[in-house]
Amino acid sequence: MSELLTLEELDTDGAIREAADKVKGDTRASFFGKAVIAGGAFAGGAALLGGLAESAEGATATDIEILNFALTLEYLELEFYARALARPTALDGQTRRFAQVVRSHEQAHVNAIKGVLGRAAVAKPTFDFKGTTENAAAFRKTAAVLERTGVRAYEGQAPRIEATAILKAALAIHTVEARHSAWIRDIIGVNPAPVAFEKPLTMSQVLSAVAATGFIVSQPRFTG
Amino acid sequence: MTEPLTLEAVDRDGALQEALEEIAGSTRTAFLKKAALGGGTLALGGLLAGGFPALAKAQSPAQDAQILNFALLLEYLEADFYTQSVSKGALSGEPLRFARVVGAHERAHVAFLRNALGAAARPKPAFNFMGATETQVKFLATAIVFEDTGVGAYNGAGPMLTKPVLAAAATIVGVEGEHAGWVRNIALKNPAPQAFDPLLSVATVTKRVSPFIAS
Repeated sequence: MSELLTLEELDTDGAIREAADKVKGDTRASFFGKAVIAGGAFAGGAALLGGLAESAEGATATDIEILNFALTLEYLELEFYARALARPTALDGQTRRFAQVVRSHEQAHVNAIKGVLGRAAVAKPTFDFKGTTENAAAFRKTAAVLERTGVRAYEGQAPRIEATAILKAALAIHTVEARHSAWIRDIIGVNPAPVAFEKPLTMSQVLSAVAATGFIVSQPRFTG
Repeated sequence: MTEPLTLEAVDRDGALQEALEEIAGSTRTAFLKKAALGGGTLALGGLLAGGFPALAKAQSPAQDAQILNFALLLEYLEADFYTQSVSKGALSGEPLRFARVVGAHERAHVAFLRNALGAAARPKPAFNFMGATETQVKFLATAIVFEDTGVGAYNGAGPMLTKPVLAAAATIVGVEGEHAGWVRNIALKNPAPQAFDPLLSVATVTKRVSPFIAS
């Protein structure tokens, strides 16, 4: 990709600028950090176009934003399970089986979302799970929080998605996260389905909750 | 037919109201209005084909009502299944706890959909569970089919709903996913057998549930 094109040349209908503004404004600023955007708005814009052209036909700027949000949550989950499983003694029995199955799902979700985003995909952040991957009790409790947050995050975003293909993928993932949530809650011994109507979370609610964990220690950047 | 339930009657702790306000803001009113409008259209079309809708890709309030009525059929099926299973007395331990908790959810979903559909809401059919409410093993196997099918049905219909109705349906489908994961774990089956849940067509869902519908 040429680095010499201007944003205006690429962004004939203003969609990329709109996406970058949105990123800069309310939704991701607190999470991804304003410095990244200030230095990288154009790089992000170029990457968005590359991703759209290659594999996300029909995706709007909002869709791209939602996909990168989802990708960040999936990276977080994937890394959490991978690290817990990397410690041979941390998990056993049904907790270990849960982690193995769910890790493979989160890997598939990451791959699918990255595939759609192409060069527009955010890079994987660096994580610090504060010891919660090191013993089974802390692992289970954290997994339960992450999974239910994931369910409510997808629920909140699904009605905002504009491209049908992306909506279908999000729906297919949403209920798998719900299965994970019920599974780990059943292992812990708390009601796997605690409410008749699951309450959605907005993007900023989820980002604040994730930020509060301190699990993400470095800012992701657009890979393009 | 009883009076249509109010949202307040269904939503005792206000969580649903709050959720709907949060997701849809002013659109909840639009959703209920649209569903009611769609219901008018449905009254004509809904009598054919036993209420299994032929869906178009284009979203419309009329189609929303058709889909919600199809969802209502599935929720009636699940609610009746759990209510009968609990009353037959064949369940104990975690399967009994599951049937009680999930039965209450399905009844709340029925009430929610009936409330949204108003006069267009289909009546509850008679079901025949073919003995599945009478033994714990059959109960669990059938509950897995119903919950997995419910998940796939809502997911399959999702892209055909208008956005405010999709937002409302999303509050239900995640719960169906939790039910599916839970009952599979009880039955010692993989609670999450695939990384992506299938999006089922109306035809597939109809094929799975038709044997249980007696009238």
